[in-house]
Parts: sequence; structure tokens; C-alpha cells
Amino acid sequence: MKRITILAGHYGSGKSEISVNLALANQIDYIVDLDIINPYFRSRALGELFEERGIHLVESTIKGMLGSDLPYVSGEAAVPFVNKKLTAIYDLGGTENGGRVLIQFKDRITDRENIDLFYVVNLYRPETDNKDKIIRAIRALECEAQLPVTGLINNTNLMQHTTEAIVMEGQAVLLEVGKELDLPIVYTVIEETHHFPGPFAGETIILSRIVAEKWL
Amino acid sequence: MSKVLMKGNEAMALAAIKAGVEAFYGYPITPQNELPEYMSKHMAEHDRVFVQSESEVAAINMVYGAAGAGARVMTSSSSPGIALKQEGISYIAGAELPAVIINVMRGGPGLGGIQPSQGDYKQITRGGGNGDYYLYSLAPESLQEAVDLIKEAFDIADYFRNPVMIAVDGLIGQMMEPVDFDHPVPKWDLPPKTWAADGNRKNGREKNIINSLYLDPAVLEQHNLKLKAKYDEMKRDHQRYEMINMESADIVIVAFGSTARIARTAVEILADNGIRCGIIRPIAIFPFPTNAFDEIPDHVKDILVVEMNTGQMVDDVRLADKCRRNIHFYGRVGGIVPEAEEIVEQVMTIVGGDN
Repeated sequence: MKRITILAGHYGSGKSEISVNLALANQIDYIVDLDIINPYFRSRALGELFEERGIHLVESTIKGMLGSDLPYVSGEAAVPFVNKKLTAIYDLGGTENGGRVLIQFKDRITDRENIDLFYVVNLYRPETDNKDKIIRAIRALECEAQLPVTGLINNTNLMQHTTEAIVMEGQAVLLEVGKELDLPIVYTVIEETHHFPGPFAGETIILSRIVAEKWL
Repeated sequence: MSKVLMKGNEAMALAAIKAGVEAFYGYPITPQNELPEYMSKHMAEHDRVFVQSESEVAAINMVYGAAGAGARVMTSSSSPGIALKQEGISYIAGAELPAVIINVMRGGPGLGGIQPSQGDYKQITRGGGNGDYYLYSLAPESLQEAVDLIKEAFDIADYFRNPVMIAVDGLIGQMMEPVDFDHPVPKWDLPPKTWAADGNRKNGREKNIINSLYLDPAVLEQHNLKLKAKYDEMKRDHQRYEMINMESADIVIVAFGSTARIARTAVEILADNGIRCGIIRPIAIFPFPTNAFDEIPDHVKDILVVEMNTGQMVDDVRLADKCRRNIHFYGRVGGIVPEAEEIVEQVMTIVGGDN
């Protein structure tokens, strides 16, 4: 993993769950929630979990205002861009608009070679269910974020109804997307309950549902 | 792919498009924003109308107008926004117009919070605005059920010429689940909308007038009785509910929407502990499923009502049960969702108390 990983994707693509899993697995320093589009999936329990693990959480809410409906980006969100000793994961809001929030850090991003922007795709989400839609969404995101996408994450799933064939269907389409945009599939996400043997493109993330569980 | 993965709000929007909604008017409010957002993008693709109005009051009055013109029309909001719409809803019911209204409930009163709640139960099931009217009100527990009921809701609204409310909470609006949009739903036998003020008078018909004002008391009384006959028909012929685990039940939970979902998990945990618990799940909360209470086994002595409010459904359960059993209540409020373990504990206390 590079020093900074930014995850983007349509809402419901699984960004937040993947961010949390990656953060815990790689013991990064900062996890930054930049989802100011939908302030719904927040939880005190998640904050406590990160604190326990020594990962600093920068929330998209004013401290102590968990139920606030206001978009909010903490000044702290810039810290990992400036302090180059820190490792961090950024979780963007859904749709291409979610990338716009990154523009404010533009002047502070001086080591682009150490930053990855990954695009998360679930082929079974109607807004990204074919190659053309995915390519259009990636280009729109790059315009909004003013940063190039550097990799793809295949999170194709139908929750408990996921089969290995469904994952491979996503992989086939993402390989085509990758060919056209010259992007690798960096991760394939498999929920821990599924035990698919693989192999899959890129590294495999064995996902546990942490956000959903802590929120519900 | 017959199933796709959808977020609740998005799924409800697409269900309405599949049901042939011709116009959507709305105003943003959390936790239902993805619904109008989806409509803003996709209604135009289908050559249909989307308007983000200047307020909730404007939105519901646009619904009133479009419904009067004979269009299939919908609005959505969340609790405080639905409260604002009540005047228009009453006018729509008074003018006998079909419309579908989605309420993705959040905590109240007032602005309350943005997390899930079932705090609008009384408002929804009593009409909500002024005068003698009710809304046929459906409370789905899953995205598939929400999609199916919304597809049918437009037919129900047309059949009764009355607004239909889809009552869900923020949990259903925000959760993700696989959904099959081609899942068949019952089709209602619908007469043509000969009453619509659609400007089409080529056939020489009389003017159609959309109105809820009747200054002559004798005429208004007849109008009120005509409306009452519709609500009586709903209560008599169109109750909807699911009985879960009832034959073997020793105690019964009554819960709707996402609370019923959590109750299902509680029932499984209870079964592992040797306690047989059934569920009455109202699918329509108006008309209330009074018939379900006559199907409860005689030996059941206790009913536990579980809601995300302070007990708004308890009165309806008491009336439907006709004082046959002890009625208990457990609820969480403020946007806090009860956990299955909490419900299990309540049932254990009640069952234990009998021993």
C-alpha cells in the first residue's frame, strides 16, 4: 500500500466497509471520512474501535455532533497530506461529486507518487452495471477530484446471494475497463462468509462487515 | 441479472418508475434524499416530470394538481416534511384523488433527528390532516417488499381514489439489499379516470371539477359518508398482515417495518432458548389488521408490542385484541434501533413472570 489510499465509488459500492477493513488490516495512522454527501452511516462504536486499535479517525461531523446533518470537513483531514510520516485511508462520498471535496487539498498534495486513488465497483449496482457507465463515472470523478484514478477494486456482490461466478463477472468487465484506461485491478473483495477459492485479480481482501454491524 | 443491489431510497424510486409514475415533486430532507436525487436523474430519461419544489407545501400541492389532471404522481419526504404536507394531503383525500406518498421516518417531534424512527404512526394511521379521512398505509420490512408494495400502491390509490402512504423508517431508506424489480405484484381492476380534469372534452363530457369545498352541510355530509364507505371497505376487505410462527406460539410480538425484521431475529434466539414466540406483522398499518388477533391461539396470554416510538400502536393492539390478553410494550426512540437481544430480554421477563 502507498502512504495514502483514497477510495471512491458510487454510493453503495462498498467504499466505507473496504476502507475500514483496509485500515484495520494495515494498521494505518489516519482514517479520514470525507463522505459529506450522506451523513448517515456513522457510529460511536466505530470510533471506539479505531481508538482501541490506535488509528486516528477524522469524522465528517463536528466533534460530539454525531447526528448532525451538516456537511463538515475537519481541518485535520489535511494532516496526512502535509505530514509525510503518516499513512492514511480516505473514504470519499458517493458518486463523482464525492471527489470535489479533495480539491481543497490540491496545494498540499506534493507527493502524488505516494497517493493512490482507487475506484470501487460493484457490477450489480445499476449505476455501474457496464463498462461504459464505469468509464464515464471514473472520468467524471477524475475531473471533480483533480486527481487521476490509479486502480480498480472489484467489489461485485449480491450480499448473501453472491457466487464466485458473480465476482468473476465483475472481474471480466473491470479487466476491460482497465485495458481501456490502463488501470490494474488492485483488489478483489470477498466477504469472509463466502470462502471462494479464487484466484482473483489483484490482492484479495477478505471482508468482514464492520460498518454495517456497528451501525445497526 | 434478475436481481440488483440497491439502496432503499433508490429502490423505492425505481419501483415508482416501473409502476408508471408520470410526475414526481419533492423537497430534500435526510434520510430520503437519494429518492428525489434518483428521480432527478432518471425521470427525464423516461420523458417524465421531476420538480424540486421550493418547499414541501409546494410539492404536495403540485401532487394535488397533477393527480387532479389524472397523472400517476408521487412525492416523498421524511417526518417533519410529511408534517408540512398534511394540509395538501387532506385536500387530496377530500378531492378524492390518487397519489402515492413515501415517508422515510426519522426521530421527532419537531426537527428531531435524522436517524430511524417509527414516530409518525399515529399521524399516518389517523389521516394526519384535518377532517374525516384516512390513508391506505403500507409498512414494508424489506427492500423487496417496499418495491412490490410501491408498484401496487399506485393501483390501490387509483382504485380507492385516495392517497396511499408508504411508511418506512430511515433504516429501510438507507440499507442495501438485493432486489428483483420484475417480481410480479397483484394488478387491480381499474376503471378509466373519467373524473380527471385533463382538458380532454372532445367527447362532449361535462366539466370535471377538482374540489374539496362543500359549503352546503347536507352535501358535505353525503361526501363524508361516501369517503367513510371507502375506509370501511379498506377495513373490511383489505387488511394486510403476516402471521409468523403463530401455531406453536406461547407469546406474540406485534411489530411492523424494520422492527418486525429485528423481531424475527429475536424469535430465532428465543426458539434456541426453548421459548415459542410468534409475530403479527401488520403490512398495512391502516387498515389495522384486527382480523389477525382472532387467529392467535387461545392459550396465548401475553402480547408484546415493539416499536421505534413510545407506544403509538399499543392502542390499536388493545382494541384489536378486545381485552383478551395482557399487552406489554417495548420501544426505543430518538433514532436508536432496538437490538434483537433487547427484545429477547423483554420476552424472557414476561414469560418468566408467568412462572
